Amino acid sequence: MNSFLQHGGVLIPMLLGAIAVWTLLPRPEPRAWVVGSMCGLAALLAVLGRLAPPSGEWMRDGLFYVFGGGAVICGTMMITDRNPIYAALWFALVTLCTCGMFLLNAAPFLSVATIIVYAGAIIVTFLFVIMLAQQGGTGGYDSAAYQPVLGTIGGFLIMGALLFTLQQWGGIERRPGETQIAGATFVKPPQDVEDNPLSTPPLRGMGSLHAVGRSLFGDYLFAVELAGTVLLIATIGAIALAPRRAQGNL
Amino acid sequence: MIELQGQLVVGAILFALGAIGFLTRRNLILMMLSVEMMLHGVSINLTAFGAYHHNTSGQVFTIFVLTISACEAGLALALILALYQRRKSLDVQLWGNLGETDLPRLVDDTAPPSHPLPTVDMPHLTPAGRMPAGPKQLPSKTPSKV
Repeated sequence: MNSFLQHGGVLIPMLLGAIAVWTLLPRPEPRAWVVGSMCGLAALLAVLGRLAPPSGEWMRDGLFYVFGGGAVICGTMMITDRNPIYAALWFALVTLCTCGMFLLNAAPFLSVATIIVYAGAIIVTFLFVIMLAQQGGTGGYDSAAYQPVLGTIGGFLIMGALLFTLQQWGGIERRPGETQIAGATFVKPPQDVEDNPLSTPPLRGMGSLHAVGRSLFGDYLFAVELAGTVLLIATIGAIALAPRRAQGNL
Repeated sequence: MIELQGQLVVGAILFALGAIGFLTRRNLILMMLSVEMMLHGVSINLTAFGAYHHNTSGQVFTIFVLTISACEAGLALALILALYQRRKSLDVQLWGNLGETDLPRLVDDTAPPSHPLPTVDMPHLTPAGRMPAGPKQLPSKTPSKV
């Protein structure tokens, strides 16, 4: 009972979030979306308030809450929307919020590249396929989730385990006998492992393309070659798998 | 650093939401999009740790994640189109019984009927006259086999 009270800050939002997602998942009968969205917002506020309290820099905090909260809300809307086209557009918003988080993490090149690749290429291709496949209205399979109870329970078990581990590991609350917040000693960089020589940029050069390029084509050159090979094989596979026309060859 | 923990929380939530979407949605394309959302959660984790340790390896790993997800999207779309050509539907439950015939079938959870688009009254044009005589049909070429 004592441990339950101690970890209630994670357990209760998990319960609320599970109720929210289960309520909002598509089903043939009308959904109680007011109850679901209220539960979901309460869960999100509780989790962010407990595990990610404001750090003091109001600009970074504001951007973090906008992008992080936006990503979670748009993700929930994506998996609960009945219309697959709207779901794909919600996924585009998730991508934009993720790119905002990349910006906060000093990765501007990655942010722009992700926007181009996802919002520019992948989403448009998926939208094409959705429109190609559903010319005669929305299919009934979109308005009924498959095993919503089991799926929700499984997903929130994963999420609860992750957040519980984070809470144990980081320890936002002060433990007895400590004057400093334990989160300050969160993850120490390993001391006995050598850094990759080209992957540690100079002090102010973290976000520059120069640093990323040095690391990518210096330390990870073989991985780049492997990734290129994987792309080539995937291209060949996609051409071989693509449905052929009735006449003629590809 | 507390900010790192916040980013990890957002990444974990996105990952779990993507898992729920993959498990519960029936649309093949939405399942693929849910997987992409799980990859987004992982990418947030990678860049957050990279910024925390002041190391660009996190960004390089995210570039690799981007590459692999592009491969995956291409292959998945090709597969989805091939499956769609067979059954004329994106419902994943239609492919739920690929096992042997003497084994017990999986849970047979049929989807509700589809909602067709609402039929609207289209304007009808008044006929403008008789159908004119078309051009003479050319003798159709028989397809020559090479």
